[in-house]
Amino acid sequence: MERQDKAQDAWVVGGHRFSSRLLMGTGKFQDAETMVRAVLASRAQIVTVALRRVGRIPREDDMLGPLGELKGITLMPNTSGARNASEAIRAARLGRELCGSPFVKVEIHPNPHHLMPDPIETFEAAKILAAEGFVVMPYMPADPVLAKRLEDVGCASLMPLGSAIGSGRGLATVEMLRLILRDARIPVIVDAGLRSPSEAAAALEMGCDAVLVNSAVAAAGDPVAMAAAFAQAVKAGRDAHRAGLMPQGGGTALATSPLTAFLSEEGQ
Amino acid sequence: MTPQMPAWLDPSPWLDGRESTPADVERALGCDAPGPRELAALLSPAAHPFMEVMAQHARALTQRHFGRTISMYAPLYLANYCTNGCAYCGFASDRVQPRRRLELPEAEDELAMLKGMGFEEVLLLTGERTSHAGFDYLLECVSLAARRFHAVGIEAFPMTTREYALLAEAGCTGVTLYQETYDPRQYDRLHRWGPKKDYLDRLDAPARAMEAGMRTVGLGVLLGLSDPAFDAICLLRHAVHLRRIHWKSGITLSFPRLRPQSGNFAAMFPVDEAWLAQLVFAVRVVLPDVPLLLSTRERPEFRDGMAGLGISKMSAGSRTSVGGYGEAEPMTEGQFQVSDTRSVPEFCSMLRNRGLEPVFKNWDSVFRDAAGGEHG
Repeated sequence: MERQDKAQDAWVVGGHRFSSRLLMGTGKFQDAETMVRAVLASRAQIVTVALRRVGRIPREDDMLGPLGELKGITLMPNTSGARNASEAIRAARLGRELCGSPFVKVEIHPNPHHLMPDPIETFEAAKILAAEGFVVMPYMPADPVLAKRLEDVGCASLMPLGSAIGSGRGLATVEMLRLILRDARIPVIVDAGLRSPSEAAAALEMGCDAVLVNSAVAAAGDPVAMAAAFAQAVKAGRDAHRAGLMPQGGGTALATSPLTAFLSEEGQ
Repeated sequence: MTPQMPAWLDPSPWLDGRESTPADVERALGCDAPGPRELAALLSPAAHPFMEVMAQHARALTQRHFGRTISMYAPLYLANYCTNGCAYCGFASDRVQPRRRLELPEAEDELAMLKGMGFEEVLLLTGERTSHAGFDYLLECVSLAARRFHAVGIEAFPMTTREYALLAEAGCTGVTLYQETYDPRQYDRLHRWGPKKDYLDRLDAPARAMEAGMRTVGLGVLLGLSDPAFDAICLLRHAVHLRRIHWKSGITLSFPRLRPQSGNFAAMFPVDEAWLAQLVFAVRVVLPDVPLLLSTRERPEFRDGMAGLGISKMSAGSRTSVGGYGEAEPMTEGQFQVSDTRSVPEFCSMLRNRGLEPVFKNWDSVFRDAAGGEHG
């Protein structure tokens, strides 16, 4: 499967092409206006909305109204709040109806405190929703085996966590992310746990296709300025990845009696 | 007979009489996994000079987990019949108080009014289980509310697991049940008669609600009834205990404080605003991801200050008497006196001025309808 378009540096998820590698969450903002301005400043093209915040009838704290007016934004409803696969599936279907989007971020966290994704229920829901034709983007633990299992059942991307939602602990799962990236055939998006733009840059540098942030922007001192900073960091990280980092190590001084000295003796 | 405290709840190891020092407070604030020891330090007089630091910690933690938002809910008193003799309660059975319950059409009117005020989460309250307002009545009211509201909670008498399961099936998403005080001796003294005298049955009820699949369970103590540090540590231990066993349910904590009310009961351990604030900050530090509630018992200035400083969920426009929303002005005496009488729009505009978004809908009935594990 195509992971990126080299010339345009676009990336493709579920047959849809995007140039921005920053995805935005929409919860936790102080008001809708700040949220919209932050989304614009982030230049995000995919924006996720919690179905539980969306009303059947438009209302003031509804997330959908202000976002619906933005041009060039793909809405990705998420199932946050679901405790199991069946709840997530119902939420996904309702989300498709309300948002008119085939994208769904499957988010199943039975424990409402640490909000860690349930790997078993996530797999079940992803399998069924992918078969129903959704563009399934699962929020998942950074588990390389689960990543392949989700890929196998037709997910459009993988969204492993950097650290717990809202924790701001950054790329705590970095070694697992490397394994996921090594073998993934679909885009890998680091979702959750980022606090600073430098962490987003690091994720892109190591080869992640994109990152999704919410708390890091919404709870920042100036959310709009922070959204712009993340946009720049993501671009810098991506550019660095394309440019190729210089090799690590190799700079240590040569020992006076090299271990390989014996190799040169043969020819003399 | 004074009931025996279970070992998992007993706070005495952390109330050993050793006074906390400023160094203990600093350690507690920097601790990676704070627990009862840290809570005790943060509640101690040694923490007084750290109040501003604690407030800033509380705000940062609240913002990280809940964002710049306050979840909104409204209480709805269904009935004030009661057979309990809680010394501190305006609805205790020996209080001279007009008793009534909302008939279903009346309940429907009150629900419609709350919906009109913008609420999507309602908390239904009754007194003890009586023939006037028993389980079947409550079940009917829950079904009624679930047709209009995305989230429906109850605050009523302790029930069996089976009863909680029936309520959940009817659309109940949360159960609030305060132990009032965890101190068994004070509990026994203050609950003079009635089924509520059974300390252990009440203590066990939140676990039964969770076992029945309830989404959230609200715990709390009525501050003023016992040593508040004792009760606070028990509250933490109760929450931690439930979190370990019932990992698919959420816990919320409330901080009701004894205020002057119809019973004219004077708090034996009065808690002032500064102490209440210290408690909320301290609990936020030890439980960074648990919703903390503050009701309209508190005066507006205090509520405004606490919004977002640990507190993540609030009620507004509340009436605490049966049928109260239908009255132009509060006519009858409620369970407690509402100190913040501002309207919902007034309260919301205060929140917005402080950079907080009031969130009315933070749940969807679609999750409820999917209960049962069917994928279709």
